[in-house]
Amino acid sequence: MRLLEAATLRHLARHRAQLALALLGLTLGVGTIVAVNLATASAQAAFERSLRTVNGAATHQLSAAGGDLPESLYVALATHPPAAGGTPLRVSPVIEGYAQAGNRVLRLIGSDPFSALSGAAEAAAAAGPGAQAAGDWLTKGGTVLMDAASARALGLKVGQSLELRVAGHTVPAELAGFIGEDAPGAEALLVTDIAQAQEWLGMPGRISRIDARLPEGPGGAALEQALRAQLPASVQLVATRARARETFAMTDAFTTNLHAMSLLALLVGMFLIYGAVSFGVLQRRTTLAVLRALGARRGEILGLILKEAALLGVGGALLGVLAGIAIGHALVGLVARTINDLYFQVAVTEVTVPVATLVVAFAAGLATALLAALVPALEVAGAPPNLALSRAVLEARARRIARALVPLSVGLVLAAALAVLASSRSLLAGFLALFLLLIAVAALTPAFLEAVARLAARALGGGSTVLRLGLADVGRSLSRTGVACAALGMALAAMIGVALMVGSFRASLATWLERTLQADLYVSAPGPLEDAGRLFMPGRVRELTTLPGIAAHSEARRLRVDSPQGEIDLNALRLGPRGGATFTLAQGGAPAWAAFEHGAVLISEPLAWRLKRGMGGTLALVTPQGLTEFPVAGVYREYGNERGEILMALRTYREHWHDDAVSGLGIYLAPGHSAEAVAQELRAQAAPDPLYIRSNAQIRALSLSIFDRTFVITRVLYFLAAGVAALGLVSALLAWELSRARELALLRTLGITPAGTALMVLAQSLFMGLAAFVVAVPAGLVTAWVLTAVINRRAFGWHIDLEVQSAGFATALVLALLAALTAALYPAWRAARAPLTAALRTE
Amino acid sequence: MLEIQDLHKSFREGGRTHAVLEGASAAAAAGEVLAITGRSGSGKSTLLNLVSAIDTPDAGAVRVAGAEVSALPEPARTLYRRAQVGFVYQFFNLIPTLNALENVRLMLELNGVGGAAARERSRAMVARVGLAGRESSAVDQLSGGEQQRLAIARALVHAPRLLLADEPTGNLDEATAREIVPLILSLARDAGATLLIVTHDAALAARADRTLELRAGRLEPRAP
Repeated sequence: MRLLEAATLRHLARHRAQLALALLGLTLGVGTIVAVNLATASAQAAFERSLRTVNGAATHQLSAAGGDLPESLYVALATHPPAAGGTPLRVSPVIEGYAQAGNRVLRLIGSDPFSALSGAAEAAAAAGPGAQAAGDWLTKGGTVLMDAASARALGLKVGQSLELRVAGHTVPAELAGFIGEDAPGAEALLVTDIAQAQEWLGMPGRISRIDARLPEGPGGAALEQALRAQLPASVQLVATRARARETFAMTDAFTTNLHAMSLLALLVGMFLIYGAVSFGVLQRRTTLAVLRALGARRGEILGLILKEAALLGVGGALLGVLAGIAIGHALVGLVARTINDLYFQVAVTEVTVPVATLVVAFAAGLATALLAALVPALEVAGAPPNLALSRAVLEARARRIARALVPLSVGLVLAAALAVLASSRSLLAGFLALFLLLIAVAALTPAFLEAVARLAARALGGGSTVLRLGLADVGRSLSRTGVACAALGMALAAMIGVALMVGSFRASLATWLERTLQADLYVSAPGPLEDAGRLFMPGRVRELTTLPGIAAHSEARRLRVDSPQGEIDLNALRLGPRGGATFTLAQGGAPAWAAFEHGAVLISEPLAWRLKRGMGGTLALVTPQGLTEFPVAGVYREYGNERGEILMALRTYREHWHDDAVSGLGIYLAPGHSAEAVAQELRAQAAPDPLYIRSNAQIRALSLSIFDRTFVITRVLYFLAAGVAALGLVSALLAWELSRARELALLRTLGITPAGTALMVLAQSLFMGLAAFVVAVPAGLVTAWVLTAVINRRAFGWHIDLEVQSAGFATALVLALLAALTAALYPAWRAARAPLTAALRTE
Repeated sequence: MLEIQDLHKSFREGGRTHAVLEGASAAAAAGEVLAITGRSGSGKSTLLNLVSAIDTPDAGAVRVAGAEVSALPEPARTLYRRAQVGFVYQFFNLIPTLNALENVRLMLELNGVGGAAARERSRAMVARVGLAGRESSAVDQLSGGEQQRLAIARALVHAPRLLLADEPTGNLDEATAREIVPLILSLARDAGATLLIVTHDAALAARADRTLELRAGRLEPRAP
């Protein structure tokens, strides 16, 4: 190693605490990026594995617009396959549903072992340790195969009996074997014979879908064409890969939000590195000037600082990658839970570590360190090697820079506004605006800190001299205090913004639930939405709704229908006594409801946003008659489904889909009747079939608890960013304490007690925390507006009324003060204990 | 060897311009020892900054061995300083993260001399200033006098044409200063370097071949 490099690198080794804090900041920043990527990639990989297992060799799926298919279609295709130049077509019937074993919900697949294309059935046929027993499922009723992990969790062994809850019934079953030994993708899976599944799910003569295997190449294309020609209009033929892509794409907005939050942690980490490097440069200013005077070139000095930063970057990024893998393991559960709550079932049992992510995160960490070091490196390399450059001159320069950053901050805000105004739908532009705003906060903070410190010191004119001195010092030492305060201000602004957005969103959701859930009781058959067994037939509806104590009722049929834009959730409604008043229309008024009753549809805001449709347009849906256009009469607010949904009159639905079933009932009680008594009556009437009855209050509570769970991960991420900012404050205070050791020692020799010195350091830190909070308040409000009106709108199409709640500010204030207090403890202790002689002897 | 010709330099302080040098001129032959005296704030350090090309004059020129160093662009100025100038400062300005020998060797490394040759030359120079056996010492373990000896070794190890000393005894006690003065003079003379000493120390100035006083921005000969 050359002496020039040794001279600077040894400086790092001598200031280990400073080095450790900078490394920690970068480690957390890079770690958060890796963790978020790892968690989302693991969820995606688990989802793809499970699809591969379930789809297996199937290249296409045939499904019906109304939900399920007649078994006869499969028989027709199997016995009279379409002719396409001798290319064979393999088809296999599949039934899908859910079953509950113990406390675990398992995906129930009914498969025909003779024609099976699904990976699950194939895996079952070749079941590893349970191979012998696996043969039983062909001959014995009630036998199932289960994934090994679920069986272990349930304490089940092969040959053991178990009870399953399927479609509201309890049925006996026997475990005949495992689906491989921990086969990837087979998590939470239960496989049985197709006839058994039909019986359990109440689907005699019906199947959920038909798996098809079409060969690749021109033969396959011809066969696909021939197959399409043979299919009824209501049946869709979709490539399994396309469907998988479309399904996982539902989580795009959610994962984009997570990635943005993780970038915030790195951005805050960048300020920490900047603080550490600039302080390191400041500490060595004389040494670097001597080197320049002795003949070291500017480029050599620049190279030295950048090499040092690169070393820091490589170390921090490597540690960050390792930490990210560890944090990712913890985060994957939260991500999977949110995906399960909002989108689809996915069981993540393995953590996928995408190498590309690690490389990108490592590069981002290194680039962050280099970028953060570039400014102080350029500054010191460009400065004349003037040894007489005093601290006062440096601080004067820092003040000039801080003031020059004010117009830059205004420019950044204007650029953010431009990014929003110039784009109407781009989510990326929304995030760009958000980051520009946060950087604007950071740019503004040092000047603000200097101004308030000066004012506060002046205001305390007649008060404590020590306090006045301490506060004035905050403003005078901007090269140290400014950067730390900026990082904290930025993190707090983001925190307030996110807290206000989440609070406003929650309030909008609560208001919406209040308005929408007007019935006293909501009745459905238990089981997931896709489960055919949860439907009520007209006879059962009549029996249930004519019971005493019921004044009125509403009926809903919920299902997923196909459209040229992919699958869309359809909610076919017979409205309750308050009619359309339970909905808030964003477009269309009373005439919309009249049109609704005459065949038009209403669409939710997210769907309107996603499909770029609105009142006056039309929407094409695949009905049993083929593609049918429906006029769109209005757009309504809806927060329950971020992919959006269609509201259609139940009568219209029945006309097109010829389906009399309903999925749920809303019960309005007659005056003087209690909800408990009517619920009991309903259960008795339905017996032995179970009913799932919940009051509107229960649904509200459940919805809000799911909402809260969804934002746990967001909170975790912004606490991480705030943690990095707090580290920045610790680092800056330590550095500041070191650089003014002589000044503090001088105060001690003049008669300030050790406790007084410590209190001064504490007061300075708390003042900085408060200043960062004050800057963060308006910035947080603007951030909240961008998050609700721009980012949420562009990601999901939701309209959220921004509500300014004190809780978000209070949390940020507490965090700011806690960070400041924690950051000051060690420096205050050091300042109080520093030996005076040593401090006075050396600068 | 050294020619200082009609140097002008002023600085802006707030709204005012403060002229420090107003036509300073001098010349020194190779191996000559020239002392510069003057009151605090008279511009002595500014003059050294201009001679070493750390700073540039508003007008006038500095020539070393016939080359106008004050007109050099960067990085030629830095390369001139690296190869042809040695510095001795009042506060030593040693590199705290390098040991004694490394501080000296650094100058050779900067001038492209490395390996065993650099080690040998540095070791010999350290021995010449009386610090043999202290090569591995950290600089903050050396006394003030030892640090200044080390600074002299660093200033001369690469055989510069010009040795600039800014108050070299200003931070030393009288006894130590008495040891340092002959050392710096003899080593500079042995090396054939032109020595320019800025000093308040009358005893040191008296040992120079000539003494000039910086007064009202100009260099005036001072009567011995």
